[in-house]
Amino acid sequence: MAASPPAGQQIETLRIAVDRANQTANSARRSADEWRNTRAVTHLAGYAAAGYASQDNGADSFDVANFNPIFHFQYADRVLWESELEVEVEEDGSTGVALEYSAINIFVNDYLTFGAGKFVSPIGNFRQNIHPAWINKLPSAPPGFGHDGAAPLAEVGFQLRGGLPIGDRSKVTYTGYVGNGPKLEGEDGELHGVDTDGFTGDPDDEKVVGGRLTLLPVPSLEIGVSGAFGDAAVVENDGLDFEGDPARDYEVLGADFSYRWHTLDLRGEYVQQDIGDAAGSIVPEGGKWETWYLQGAYQFAEAKWEGVLRYTDFDSPHPDQTQEQWSVGLNYLLTPNAILKLGYEFNDGLAGEETDEDRWLLQVAYGY
Amino acid sequence: MKRTNSSARRCAVVGLALALTGAAAAADPAGTAAPAGNDPSQFARGAQTWAATCARCHNMRDPKELRDDQWRAVVAHMRVRANLTGQEARDVLAFLQESN
Repeated sequence: MAASPPAGQQIETLRIAVDRANQTANSARRSADEWRNTRAVTHLAGYAAAGYASQDNGADSFDVANFNPIFHFQYADRVLWESELEVEVEEDGSTGVALEYSAINIFVNDYLTFGAGKFVSPIGNFRQNIHPAWINKLPSAPPGFGHDGAAPLAEVGFQLRGGLPIGDRSKVTYTGYVGNGPKLEGEDGELHGVDTDGFTGDPDDEKVVGGRLTLLPVPSLEIGVSGAFGDAAVVENDGLDFEGDPARDYEVLGADFSYRWHTLDLRGEYVQQDIGDAAGSIVPEGGKWETWYLQGAYQFAEAKWEGVLRYTDFDSPHPDQTQEQWSVGLNYLLTPNAILKLGYEFNDGLAGEETDEDRWLLQVAYGY
Repeated sequence: MKRTNSSARRCAVVGLALALTGAAAAADPAGTAAPAGNDPSQFARGAQTWAATCARCHNMRDPKELRDDQWRAVVAHMRVRANLTGQEARDVLAFLQESN
């Protein structure tokens, strides 16, 4: 049996072991603090949805499979660059990819943020804040809040925005922007639609200036007004690129509100896009796209279930786009950000058009 | 009439630029807003703002869903989208980071 080392040697060995343990612990602590204390942060957020639609005319399909990753790149309390992609499966099986927005935001001070790039249109509330699938309480957007609708979708330009407290409970918020504005599409000698996806070109050479102002007399009530003014020009006619059409007036007006009382959520919004006439244009006559909706939602059973009712009235210069809709929904909240939605739409549009077909909608949405 | 509209829009563009320039001159030169530090009411203010502001648009997410650093980016995103003041954003962030 080997003799034990002398006591002094044992103590020295023990001291070395303790030193190494301390070094390891300090290293682990530094590593843990690194991600807490870095000035720059990179983060992936976003949302995804899958859905099924069944129309009364017999057409039914799994019609939604998309995800929208949102990339956040932040430096301290000064800069945030955020970009959102919209990735979706098209009807023909191809994958559609679009840049929903990509903008740098500079926090100038506590009350002012400067933004530049492509951003979601600040007009109204639905496009800015409600349209993501995990936030929208029904499986579909209200008619008139999509492509070729009444509400602008996005803009490329600069924006200033922020909020100012008024006393302890009240607040005003503001957003002002300048951008290239929309492009117009002609078809069969008529104005077919207003394309507001956000463009880096400006064929009419006049910028659109607009914004939104909100008042929150109490934190649970928000009342907003929006407007934008500028020029637009026809750049596509009968599906072909078209150049040289004269500029014409472009005007947007909107108003919105939202109110929350316990688990009752009420909101509504009105918005119109008005295109002026233009003598000498390939499409001389202008048009007005106008929509509004009112929505009520109530969560019950410990906020695991939610009932929704929405009415929308969308008017377009084209009868095949015009639509009146009642929509009812029942949601089950798997988690606060993962929602199973069942909806039924009573649609009243031009006979024979899809806008006239009632339909069931089933959707699961997840915000991450 | 068209010329008047164009002039008004140009004035608006210049106004926005001037507003930005003035605001930038008044900005925090350090580039980072000072944390509230030992402000004992920050947690309560953050909880109140979180409950009142976030629920106005979407369901309340669990603070435990994300880490401290992830909440930084999410709150910065919401500062832009919801037009939060810098103080509101710092209060909400403190609440979320202490609650996760």
